[in-house]
Amino acid sequence: MTTIPTKTDAVDTPPAKARFTKESIKGLIYQFAAVGIVVFIGWYLYDNVSRNLENLGMASGFRFLDIAAGFDISWSIVPYEPGDNYGRVYLVGITNTLIVSAMAIIASTGLGFVIGVSRLSRNWLVSRLASVYVEVVRNTPALIQVLFWFLAVFSILPRPKNGIDVAGLGLLQINNRGIYFPKGLPQEGFGFTLIALALAIGAAVAIGIWARRRRILTGQRFPVVPTVLAVVILVPSLVFLLTGSPLGWEFPVLQGFNLSGGVSFPPALCAVFIALSIYHAAYIGEAVRAGILSVSPGQAEASFSLGLKPNWTMRMIVVPQALRAIVPLLISQWMNTVKGSSLAVAVGFPEITALFLQTSLNQVGYAIEIVAMVMLFYCTVSISISLLLNYYNKRVQLKER
Amino acid sequence: MTQATVTQPESTGQNVSADIVIEMKGVNKWYDTFHALKNIDLKVHRGERIVICGPSGSAKSTLIRCINRLEQYQQGEIFVHGELVEGSAKSVDPSINNVGMVFQQFNLFPHLTVLENCILAPMWVKKLPRHKAEEVAMNFLERVHIPDQALKYPKQLSGGQQQRVAIARSLCMNPDILLFDEPTSALDPEMISEVLDVMTELAATGITMICVTHEMGFARQVADRVVFMDSGEIVEEQPPETFFDHPRMDRTKLFLSQILGH
Amino acid sequence: MSDKETNAPSTDPDGTMIFVPTPSQAPPSETVGPIFWLRQNLFYSFFSSAITLLGIYFLFVTITGLYTWGVAEAVWTAESRRDCLDQSPHGACWAGIRTWFNSIIYGRYPDAEQWRIKLGFGLLVIWLLPIWIERIKARAWIGISAVLIYPYLAGYLFAGGERGVFMQFAFIASVTTLVANWLHVALTLLTGRGLPDWINRVCGLGNSTEKTQRIAFFSTLLLLFVAFYATFAGWEVAQVKTNLWGGLFLTFVIAGIGITFSLPAGILLALARRSELPAIRILAIGFIELVRSVPLISVLFMAVTMVPLFLPQGVELNKLAQAIVGVCLFFAAYMAETVRGGLQIVPIGQTEAAKSLGLNYWKSMYLIVLPQALKVMIPNIVSNFIALFKDTTLVSIIGLYDMLLMLKAIGRNSSWIGLHHEPLVFAAAIYFVICFAMSKYSQYLETVVGEGANQSR
Repeated sequence: MTTIPTKTDAVDTPPAKARFTKESIKGLIYQFAAVGIVVFIGWYLYDNVSRNLENLGMASGFRFLDIAAGFDISWSIVPYEPGDNYGRVYLVGITNTLIVSAMAIIASTGLGFVIGVSRLSRNWLVSRLASVYVEVVRNTPALIQVLFWFLAVFSILPRPKNGIDVAGLGLLQINNRGIYFPKGLPQEGFGFTLIALALAIGAAVAIGIWARRRRILTGQRFPVVPTVLAVVILVPSLVFLLTGSPLGWEFPVLQGFNLSGGVSFPPALCAVFIALSIYHAAYIGEAVRAGILSVSPGQAEASFSLGLKPNWTMRMIVVPQALRAIVPLLISQWMNTVKGSSLAVAVGFPEITALFLQTSLNQVGYAIEIVAMVMLFYCTVSISISLLLNYYNKRVQLKER
Repeated sequence: MTQATVTQPESTGQNVSADIVIEMKGVNKWYDTFHALKNIDLKVHRGERIVICGPSGSAKSTLIRCINRLEQYQQGEIFVHGELVEGSAKSVDPSINNVGMVFQQFNLFPHLTVLENCILAPMWVKKLPRHKAEEVAMNFLERVHIPDQALKYPKQLSGGQQQRVAIARSLCMNPDILLFDEPTSALDPEMISEVLDVMTELAATGITMICVTHEMGFARQVADRVVFMDSGEIVEEQPPETFFDHPRMDRTKLFLSQILGH
Repeated sequence: MSDKETNAPSTDPDGTMIFVPTPSQAPPSETVGPIFWLRQNLFYSFFSSAITLLGIYFLFVTITGLYTWGVAEAVWTAESRRDCLDQSPHGACWAGIRTWFNSIIYGRYPDAEQWRIKLGFGLLVIWLLPIWIERIKARAWIGISAVLIYPYLAGYLFAGGERGVFMQFAFIASVTTLVANWLHVALTLLTGRGLPDWINRVCGLGNSTEKTQRIAFFSTLLLLFVAFYATFAGWEVAQVKTNLWGGLFLTFVIAGIGITFSLPAGILLALARRSELPAIRILAIGFIELVRSVPLISVLFMAVTMVPLFLPQGVELNKLAQAIVGVCLFFAAYMAETVRGGLQIVPIGQTEAAKSLGLNYWKSMYLIVLPQALKVMIPNIVSNFIALFKDTTLVSIIGLYDMLLMLKAIGRNSSWIGLHHEPLVFAAAIYFVICFAMSKYSQYLETVVGEGANQSR
């Protein structure tokens, strides 16, 4: 007996979608055209480049990284001597860029939060001064600000012979060649202090976790911050003293016309650091202000009506919500700071653009390779920061689910 | 507080004692040069349930916001539990007077779960350990009939549910006085009744309630006194039967005809 | 007192009393006025008072210091820096700026030819003026013609020299367009009817089809074109090579070209990025992300070193053109992101509605989606323009003599050696004034556009 086909059999399955509709063909044509144009342009450029390089007698390839660089670099964390190869020059450029950027990011974030909160202050003078700061800094080109700090400030400073010695102990000397600190020279036995420091930090984290559990279970609050500070500062210091203070100091001393020894920050570095910090603090301040304003005032009102004191309201209700709006802007400002470090070109601080894209390129040619390596660096930083941003957004979103 | 049995609340204040918990004397408030509150005199007894109504712009919300210091007044005096109310909620320890508030926009903390919303203040202000605070919170969440939503985030709840959470949250601090600022005005019509039911049940427990609302049914059923305001001053105060059936002022009559007409 | 009783007997028949509202009073004197304001906003706590006093002291020192340096003890006329220092060792030496003022504005453009620059920018103002006059119709077309056609007029005025076929055509076309625009404006202001209307009247085409009217309109333009060709075809000005262009003039040229290129290019890139066609989308994303990762300085360096390598034999681009290419591509990518933000705000229902009305992709974009997106994005677009304007200073690093480099060069001139502060302060002031004005204008635009959007209430 054959089964009677039910009515649903015929109607249930929808008709198969037509593969090649008019729309999709047009789309394919556009795409082929676009890719084709790009490929053609790429081939055309490539052809020109190879011919031009040939005619100019310029070589290509990445073996240039082995060539010795004959110039000196005025400041470097990574050890460098004239005669090191260009690979090392690239490394110096990268580290210098990252260092000055990191310093500027930390300073500008701190200053930016201060400015942002100041703009919302009840004190009229404070909020107006913060507004003036933001308007002036944002409407003046960053290059002019870097030049200002370099030319206007550091040129006024006296020569090393008559340098300023802050506090008179040789701990901080300022002159027109830079800012000088004594350099710490770890001696034998210093390793113990470092180990003690690592253990102290571990203990501090453990204390934090323990205190939080305890509060959750019993409601009692433990003075975490003072305890942690005490542990991290006192314990390694104790170890340090007990092992005989194994730290020598190299003080910068006047030799001839200059100070030598110690750690120095040349005026170019200081100018770039200060200018970048001030410039990006203005933008971060605006982001902070926008973030705090984005939290509806009803939140604070509800919190007050529950009896929460103003600073707890800030900490637990307003700031977490404000951060949601602030952090993406903050992270993009950090990226801008790294890019802004390239202004060092104008004052001669050897970060990657000045050192590699300008000096090295002029010395050794290999334009395409150098350009590619510089772009590789900036793209890597940019991708890392984007990943950071995505990670933060995901974490924040899960919480709101 | 009496047991939370759902009884018909008496409308003539059998729970009302003679204690005066809130007293407002000659209170005047200006926004810049705009005279917002004019010569407000009001006495509220312990356990009394007051409904404040009036056309929009009559400064009803401003009035109750002066009680818990969210607004400041320039002239006159407000006493809560005998203590003078002054300064702003931001600058003075707000937990002195134990006055809770339920807002029109709920104002739940979106980054915390329902349960965390409720236990936050008891843990940080009353220093209760977490498990005790959670007990109290679940108790009140049951009272408002949504214990199963405890681990959800505010955005996942409907408006009516959110407002009930807001009520439970305020109750977790055991306030003597609870202020309601148009609690149902931001709700879709079908959710208004669930919130009003909760408020009606609450009214039976003996807590002092001051409620700014347009819900006249609720006023008639629950209030001990109805206060009618217009343009910043109190026009008339009556028990509900007198207020709705025999208003004394023409202004009141006009308002009632407008609001009850449709 | 809970009920308001009046002395008058009730007049209402149903027994209610007349309610007499209390009149409003002025607030008590201690709560208003300047002293109250000071106490509320500056001296409301010990800490606040301390900071206020500190702030006042800081302001006082700064302002008097700046005034002393910049005005009171400043030198306005001098022969050289030494002369300045002799006159006033601690004052600003503005004399240096004044001496070089012409170069700061025009660069090394020959003095005799500087009238062309003034004429060029004057014509831009004249061209754009009608946009602010409400009565004129077709202001959008006037604006678009300014973007597309004016550059040729200005380009020739600034560069000069012989005109090739294309340039001849473009130059005469732009003159024609300018005159036609103003004919339209004048007719509208004087008679209430614009140019197309008058053409129709004169030719008796009031009732003809739109096609006929359009033909008549364009024929009139053609006539004008021919007339101007006859007049101006032979008119030439001396050539001024671009390496003589400099100063504020050069800054405006670079910024102007950058701004007019970056917005349309940014829109196209943003649309490409949102395209459903994967190849186009990937190309757009790749370009945008690549360009946004690197600083503008490196793009300029790359342009200067690599563009010569990319060009075929015998074709050369001067440094200015290379820099302009770099700036345009760079800011097109940033503008693309801004426009993309605006596009995301427009609800998807708009595109759906447009489709259901039968509009194709480009029409729906042009008529429905883009106007809404751009309105929302005005403040961000203008802040991109401001950033572009500020970043033109970077061309000084590759050796183009924009205003900043001209100012810096003063300090290296033998008579004025060591003059560093005054040029920088002057540069900062000029940029600040221009950028600040632009941002204020953008805030104004926001309110105007906001009003328009809300008018439907």
